[in-house]
Formats: sequence, C-alpha cells, structure tokens
Amino acid sequence: MSYEFPSELMYTTTHEWVRIENSFATVGLTDYAQHQLGDVVFVELPDIGMVLEKESNAGEIESVKAVGDLIMPLSGEVMEINEQLDGSPELVNSSPYDGGWMMKIKISHPNEIDELISVEKYKELVKSEEQ
Amino acid sequence: MDFVPHDNKTITEMLSVIGVSNLEELFHDIPKDLIKEKLDIPQGLSEPDLLHRMEEISKKNRIYSNSFLGAGCYYHYIPSLVNFVISRSEFSTSYTPYQAEASQGYLQAIYEYQTIISRLTQMDVANASMYDGSTALAEAAIMATLITNKRSIILLEGIHPEYVEVVKTYCWGQNINTKITQENNLLDQLNEDVAAVLFQSPNFFGDIEDIPRLIKIIKERLPRCLIIQVMTDPTCLGVLKPPGSMDIDIFVTEGQSFGINPSFGGPGLGIFTAKQKYLRKIPGRLIGKTREINGSQEGFILTLQAREQHIRREKASSNICTNQALCSLAALTYLLAMGKTGLREIATQNLQKAHFLKKEIAKVPGYKILNQKPTYNEFLIECPNIDSFISECRKHDLLPPLRMSKYYPEMQNVALVCVTEVNSRKSINSLIQSAQLASDNSVEGRSK
Repeated sequence: MSYEFPSELMYTTTHEWVRIENSFATVGLTDYAQHQLGDVVFVELPDIGMVLEKESNAGEIESVKAVGDLIMPLSGEVMEINEQLDGSPELVNSSPYDGGWMMKIKISHPNEIDELISVEKYKELVKSEEQ
Repeated sequence: MDFVPHDNKTITEMLSVIGVSNLEELFHDIPKDLIKEKLDIPQGLSEPDLLHRMEEISKKNRIYSNSFLGAGCYYHYIPSLVNFVISRSEFSTSYTPYQAEASQGYLQAIYEYQTIISRLTQMDVANASMYDGSTALAEAAIMATLITNKRSIILLEGIHPEYVEVVKTYCWGQNINTKITQENNLLDQLNEDVAAVLFQSPNFFGDIEDIPRLIKIIKERLPRCLIIQVMTDPTCLGVLKPPGSMDIDIFVTEGQSFGINPSFGGPGLGIFTAKQKYLRKIPGRLIGKTREINGSQEGFILTLQAREQHIRREKASSNICTNQALCSLAALTYLLAMGKTGLREIATQNLQKAHFLKKEIAKVPGYKILNQKPTYNEFLIECPNIDSFISECRKHDLLPPLRMSKYYPEMQNVALVCVTEVNSRKSINSLIQSAQLASDNSVEGRSK
C-alpha cells in the first residue's frame, strides 16, 4: 500500500503530521492514519485558547468503525481550528495534509521540536506497523 | 428469521475445521475445581405438573382489587392492543438488531419509539432506551461528567431513594463525587467542580417543582452546570410542561407507566433524552433512518455506533450494549393507542382523582396533607395511627399506600398515597372510610 508522506513535514509516532512555521505549528492526521480509520464522520477539536501539554489528548476523530485520538505533538496554545471539518469531515480522508488540517498551535516549548520524527523515520514506522 | 439449531453432524464438521475433537475441549481453560458436576436442582416436571406447581406458587400472591401504592411503580390501564402487539413472536423472541437487513421491523419500531418520545418530551434526541429510570438517571450523571469534564454531581432531595442509591453506586465506580442537598442549601453546593444538578419532578414526595425558578437559580451561580430531570410516572406529561420547553439538558424517566405491567417491580423502561448538542455523548443505542446506496429505498439502522463501548471501549459514555426493546415497543403501542387526547385525558383523571382524595382525606380528623407544593397523582398524608390505617386498607381489599418510614425513619406516621385513573370512586371512598375507621380506632385506643 503506498501512502503520501510530504517530506517537508515532521511526524509523530501517533500518526500526526506537523508543519512548523516560526513559532506556530499546523497539525493533522497522516495519510496512513486516515486510511486506517476509514471514512471519517466526525472530528472533535479542542476549544481555541486551550493550552495543552505535548502527548495529551487534543481531540477525537470518529470514523464509521473506530475512534482515534488527536494527540498534541508539541505543547502549546490552540490558536485556530479547521471549522470546515464540522460540515465536511471527509476532508480528513480526501486531503489529509491540506483541506483536512485540524489545528494551529502556538508552540510553547520549541525544544520539543527535536522530539518529532523525520519523514524517513515515519515511513519506517508505518512499514513496521503494516507487517 | 427463524432460529435453526445445529445438529450433531454440523457440530462434528465445525469441530473438525477448527481442529477440536469434542465440545468439552472448548472449555478446557476453565479450572477443573470450578466445574460443578452436580447441581442442586430438582428433577424436571411434565407440562401439567409444571403448570400445577406454578399455580400453587401464584396462589401465595395476594391480589387486591384496588391499589393506592405508587412510589416508582404504577397501576395504569393498559389497552389490550399493547399485549397483542408485543406478543407477536417476531417481536417477543427477536434478538438484538445488529444485522439491519434482517431486523427492519424492529428497527422501525424502535425508531418510532424514539420519535414519539422526542415529540412527547420535546427533547431533541431520544435513544433506544436504557434498563429503567434509575440506571437512566445514573447514566445521565456520568454523561454530564464527560461533557463538562467535572467530577461532582449534586442530587436534590426528593429523588426516589432507590434511584439515589443507584446513582451513588455508578458514581462510586467512576470516582465521581455525589452530594445530596436540600433546596435551601443548593447554592452553597454549586462549586467549580460540579458537572450537573439532578432533580426529580414530580418528586418522591409527590411535589411538582417550580422548574424554571430552579434552573434560574442554578444557572445564575454556575452557567455551564448541566440540568438533569428525572420522573417516575411520565403520564404526567399529559398535563405538565414538557422538559424540552424548559432548558433541561438531559431528561430521563421510568417508562413503566406507558403500557408495562407493574409485575413484581420490573422489568422497567429507561427513557433517555437529551439536547442535540450532546448527541455524541449519549449512551446506548440510537436507531437512524437512511437510504440504500444502490437504490432509493429507505431503511433503518443502528447509527452513531462509534459512541458505543464495542468501538470506543473504555472511552465510551457507558458499557451498555442493549436496550429494553420489548418494553419500548409496549410504550410505543400504548402512546399510539392513547394518542394526544387520550394521554391528556389520563393525566387529567390522575390529577383530579388524586386531588379529590386529597381534599376528602384532609377532612378526616387527625389526617394532614404534608405537601406544600402542587402535586400530580401522589401526595403525603400524616396519619394519627398508620398501623391502623394500613390494616383497615387491607381489610377493604386495598393495596395500602407506602409507609414513608421505609425510606425515611423520621416519618413514622406518614404514608405516600397514589391515585391513578384506574382507581374508581368506590375505591377512593373505601380508602376514605379506611382512614376514618383507623382514626376512630386510635381515638378509642386513647380513651381506653
């Protein structure tokens, strides 16, 4: 199975992607994650203004057959959430890195960025999970 | 769909496919010392002997001609249509509707039940039902903690004492704090950790609460506190304002009054409703209506299943994976048979007959009505001699009202009386007479 993993992004072991722009990070679920979940029917995102720690539960992605957690890849404050997902949750499946973006956070501990994994490492992780 | 049991040939075939030689081998994980070789149960009986035995047991029951007992379980008239519908084998023997294509009839019935309940209560969403009123209330409390992320529940005094115990048990299991409070203490209890306030109306004492006033008090102090109402006899909705018109977040009620026999206190029906915005946190089953992918035909299915424990596991609102299907069908049939005018008529009769008894009993020397608020079909009376009163009731072939001391030891001489549409004028007069005789007895007792 071939998935799309843009090389300019960073990843997590819990299958989120992260786009770093200065002190902000945009977060979503990877192509692998959306494929595993199946048709997404509902996305629960955190409230704007919420300050969450890295690895804490930020939200939930509900599909027809499962519920997946949205885990904070970095500690920070939720600045923006993708309102489009309210009416069109299927964007997570059709456009995981673009229209399916989930939230923008203000990074509070920039040193945590080093703990994110590179695209090569993530590809290896996916390969091992598939076996 | 018919049930077709396996025959020995099929069993042998299946066993060989999985590489097992006999059925006993499938249970080899159970420690030998736990397997009971002999069970202490008597021999089977032939059909006539069995029927005779059941008759003997049933004769131990005392069947009264009339009842004045309520307290959570009520005698209402059940139209024969209800029994006719629920006795259909397709309904009474049916299994859970996980296979939609084989269960359309049942799914439609539950969908219609959800719809009728939603319309009656004017709440946005009704689920396929819970076990009974008490567990529905407990589940509502848990749901409130998940919605608000707070861990305390306030219970207003007046909730059925057994419901209180059930809520406390469920909350104890989930490390949620519960606090019972009187109305005059309520504001003091509303701190930042409170998820919801639970109250019953009409309550266990028979009082109808001033709900808008109560909600206002709570919301002024704690705007995001959830308001949860429970009741035990929903026939009152034929005359009272529906919860959906009063900013109630979650409304639950025991549904036994809708076409289900009191029996020995069960089975019940947990009617569960909530606001639309809480849809994804509602426990239990939800039946939805949908369309075929490759056609235009409508059909019914279990929907929003990702809420449920078989998918969400420990993150689900509840571990419930069933509903009271046959009882919900009885309730649906009852409500359809009664219709809007019928339900209104029943509620009016409950109200009027209870009010008549209330007035008349207050005239009997020594008896006092304790309720200060308006009541529906239950109220409290203080008796000069409650033992005498209960005894006279029995002599007049009346199932006596509840002794309140059963739950409230300080209410030694108080009875909770219930009057429904099935109580005839004759039976009501009988009760008044019993009260009079009991009053005379106690007067005699004093003068001796």
